[in-house]
Amino acid sequence: MDTGGSSESPVEPKKGKSKTPRKPKDSVLKQKSPAEFFAENKNIAGFDNPGKSLYTTVRELVENSLDSSESISELPVVEVTIEEIGKSKFNSMIGLVDRERVDEALYDDYETTKAREKRLAKEARAQEIQAKNALLGKKVKETPASKGMKGRGDASFYRVTCKDNGRGMPHDDIPNMFGRGFNLTFQLKFPFNTDFSLWDKIWLEADTWKVWSWGKDGLPIEISSSMRNQSYISFCRLDIDIHRNIPHIHVHEKRDNKDQWRGAEIQIVIEGNWTTYRSKILHYMRQMAVITPYAQFLFKFISDAPEKNVTIKFARRTDVMPPVPLETKHHPSSVDLLLIKRLIEETSKQNLLQFLQHEFVNIGKSYAERLIGEMGPDFGPKMAVKSLTSQQIVRIHQLFRQAKFDDPSGDFGTLLRTCFQCLSPAGEYNLRLGIIKELHPDMVATYSGSAHIFEGHPFIVEAGVSVGGKDVKQGLNIFRFANRIPLLFEQGADVVNRTALKRINWSSYKINQTQDKIGVFVSIVSTKIPFKGTGKEYIGDDINEIATAVKLKSKITKKMQAREQQERKRSLNRYLNDVTGAVYGIISDTAKSRASKNKKKRYEDEDLDAETLREVSAKLITKERLKEELAQHIEKVDYEMLLEYATQSGVSEEPREAIYIQSLEAEPKFIDLHSPIFVFRLFQ
Amino acid sequence: MADKGKKKRRRQDPDSDEEESQQLPFKNILKSDSQILQIIKGFSSTSKPSSSKTLTLADLGLDSKCREVTELSLPDVQSAIESIALKATRSILAGNGFSFEVPSRSAANQLYVPELDRIVLKDKIIIRPYANVSTVRKTAITTRILQLIHQLCAKNIHVTKRDLFYTDVKLFQDQTQSDSVLDDVSCIIGCTRSSLNVVAAEKGVVVGRIIFSDNGDMIDCTKMGIGGKAIPPNIDRVGDMQSDALFILLVEKDAAYMRLAEDRFYNRFPCIIVTAKGQPDVATRLFLRKMKMELKLPVLALVDSDPYGLKILSVYGCGSKNMSYDSANLTTPDIKWLGIRPSDLDKYKIPEQCRLPMTEQDIKTGKDLLEEDFVKKNPAWVEELTLMVKTKQKAEIQALSTFGFQYLSEVYLPLKLQQKDWL
Repeated sequence: MDTGGSSESPVEPKKGKSKTPRKPKDSVLKQKSPAEFFAENKNIAGFDNPGKSLYTTVRELVENSLDSSESISELPVVEVTIEEIGKSKFNSMIGLVDRERVDEALYDDYETTKAREKRLAKEARAQEIQAKNALLGKKVKETPASKGMKGRGDASFYRVTCKDNGRGMPHDDIPNMFGRGFNLTFQLKFPFNTDFSLWDKIWLEADTWKVWSWGKDGLPIEISSSMRNQSYISFCRLDIDIHRNIPHIHVHEKRDNKDQWRGAEIQIVIEGNWTTYRSKILHYMRQMAVITPYAQFLFKFISDAPEKNVTIKFARRTDVMPPVPLETKHHPSSVDLLLIKRLIEETSKQNLLQFLQHEFVNIGKSYAERLIGEMGPDFGPKMAVKSLTSQQIVRIHQLFRQAKFDDPSGDFGTLLRTCFQCLSPAGEYNLRLGIIKELHPDMVATYSGSAHIFEGHPFIVEAGVSVGGKDVKQGLNIFRFANRIPLLFEQGADVVNRTALKRINWSSYKINQTQDKIGVFVSIVSTKIPFKGTGKEYIGDDINEIATAVKLKSKITKKMQAREQQERKRSLNRYLNDVTGAVYGIISDTAKSRASKNKKKRYEDEDLDAETLREVSAKLITKERLKEELAQHIEKVDYEMLLEYATQSGVSEEPREAIYIQSLEAEPKFIDLHSPIFVFRLFQ
Repeated sequence: MADKGKKKRRRQDPDSDEEESQQLPFKNILKSDSQILQIIKGFSSTSKPSSSKTLTLADLGLDSKCREVTELSLPDVQSAIESIALKATRSILAGNGFSFEVPSRSAANQLYVPELDRIVLKDKIIIRPYANVSTVRKTAITTRILQLIHQLCAKNIHVTKRDLFYTDVKLFQDQTQSDSVLDDVSCIIGCTRSSLNVVAAEKGVVVGRIIFSDNGDMIDCTKMGIGGKAIPPNIDRVGDMQSDALFILLVEKDAAYMRLAEDRFYNRFPCIIVTAKGQPDVATRLFLRKMKMELKLPVLALVDSDPYGLKILSVYGCGSKNMSYDSANLTTPDIKWLGIRPSDLDKYKIPEQCRLPMTEQDIKTGKDLLEEDFVKKNPAWVEELTLMVKTKQKAEIQALSTFGFQYLSEVYLPLKLQQKDWL
């Protein structure tokens, strides 16, 4: 395993983060290893700044853990711990002695005399204020130690630990999985020494690299894992030789597994920034809990200052898990040239006919023959797949693009069935449950769209709308999920946001867009999410799930109507007191003032009015009486409205069941089962 | 007063004359102040006798189809509220719940009467029953407001809209709700809003050659400092107007108003300067109308060159849709659009960097305005507005400051007056 990587220690002894590893000058055209690529392009992978890298790390680890658990149909239990490590502690961990600075002016955070004077003056002032406050007996928080000495802003180091109950990893594979760009639990079939341009296409899948490329700054990664029926825990400590894309193993051993633990635990130390990304990370965990109500999360943040510690538990609410995605074959119109090459390399089929028939969906034998005939005289059904030249592959690709394959519009049933087995949506039930569990809304409506095809990739949209709830701010709260992963960044341009803000007329649902607490949940599940931009955080605004949003409409309106029915009486009665109080206030005042002075006749209703006023003075009309009468009226109106509603919406046709009633004349033939609370009469 | 103004000017003139005549465009074609004064005097006197008698709805035979409110005395308002309450009581006791008959103030119920040159309310009435989910809230608020006004009448005091709102914040929730119901109540009773003894906070200010009495105190608006006198919220306090001004200058914005007040523009050309700082409130509109009616002076408006400037102009002139029920008292006929007009942008060579592109919303508002009757009646306005929508450029009054802060008072306005350049 450990070949040659040890000669140059990958842990660079200096703290400075040289973002671009020095390139050897002799070869201009150098093939970059994937890890190297990411080390140089951290922003692509979501590591643009320490805060975001902490977030991305947590995100990667949590998602890998969930995948791992789901792949063996186990209800996920994920524990995430973020531990803050002070700088000196970190230095000692990487074996670096805290050196005294000799030439102070050399450092970035060197204080010029002027700055120091300023700071000292400020501190003196602060102390003065504090002294004053102390004199006055006020409680003040300790002024934080001057920040200037911390260096590089607020960023410090964090140990992120993520523990799951997933599949675990085979002992021998661990170094390769982590050292080489395999994902944690899914082995991505991916040729690593291929053309470099490939990377921007599949980086999406090779997530662990991100953890790595950042992790190289600091300490090696630690992995413990145990698989089912495995008596030991594999423990591995390694880091990566980013230039050669091979693992560099420190420790790789088997340890006792006393309590039969199964799963994986990954521990890495990265530079991060908790203060600025705290809310993002917590937000992420919460959204994750919404979309995966079948998982249990425990999130902990530990730091030196105990008051900053956070522990949040998201409990499991259901045992229903989405189906495990099946690996399916590719739809011919969605493959690109590289994929065809890869498939050819990997296929076990010998000839072209079998290859076409078995590696793709929707190509039957006869159709494959027709395709081969169409390809030209160079091709034959019996020709060996592996012998295809690159020109020939291009020809196949061209044909795939042009040829007509059964489209969704055609043979919908079979195609979709095959296509959508590879999708694993959360399910309307789970989405609904998640929303209820985390937000406690007053009302939820969910919708699960039927599957569609976008550029050859199947996708399903699930959506939910909630109104009210706790911890929800007023206005629109949009929760976006792609393949059951929350998206938090770059929301402005996202299709969901655009739709929710501009294309939906909320008032037609009697929802006030600015005052009601609206939650919008949209989850898109697809084999390929049409992300725009490299940030992988938003979906382009050109797909047609507006249609889905519109379909939500009827459901919400119906819900709203039902709610209105329920609330009518309540809202009518709400103002009863105000109204009767006001009316009675006017007439009793009038009665008083009119009694004191003689009024001249002015209105035609004068007599009636006078009569009413007399009754008021005589306490025949009181506020209570008004209230009673009005309440009765409301009762009446409510009843009428209810009848109307019932006749309009119709009685729902439920299956009728025969009921058995005792005949009046029949002889009493029964046994009474007595209990202190009830009697159970059993007829014979 | 005039002498003081001249002195002031003389002080400025010697040092600024030569350089400024080069700097400030069009300054050279400006005639002397006395000549300009002569021009305005001519205009002012010709415009006087024109408004002898104002038409009313009854004159047009429209009074049956349209609804208009009148000034009512406090006891009248009080007894009107009482009879409404008693009617409601009887209806409740009869087991029918209760409802109010509220004249609709929606856009569909408005009518522009060209003969009157203002918007009036048609006679559509909406029944607002209590026992209905969609109207229950409004009805409750209406009842409460009725009670509060009843109390005001009994005590004979004035309160502001804000006061009214705070008497029952929990029910009203936000002030727009109590405000809009207040207008409804005016309509139900059929009186002006000021008859309800509810006023808005002071917003408008006036400065210049006018003397009037406010609750018995004589106010000379030339001696009110630069800020001017706040326009009293209830117009019945105001009386005994006297003025030697030649015209009234209506300014959209506070900034331009301040410039003119500080430069004592009203001493150079005797005038009264009024602003409501944006959309005019009821008090300012009432005050302007009163000035126009009693002093018989022409009104010249200086507003931004954007759709909203014109809209504000229209509110002074034809009334707002929201308060069309009282347009008879609130509108001032025959307001001239002095500036800044879209054609001025090129005429006065306002540089590109001071013009703003119109937003989509602006353009839409502009196009909607073109459909409005009060714009259509004046072909010159239509022309200007069409130009604005076509060039898609707008400019604020402050755009003139690009030639110097005082360009507005030193050159632009005098030149406009000299050329009688208003529509």
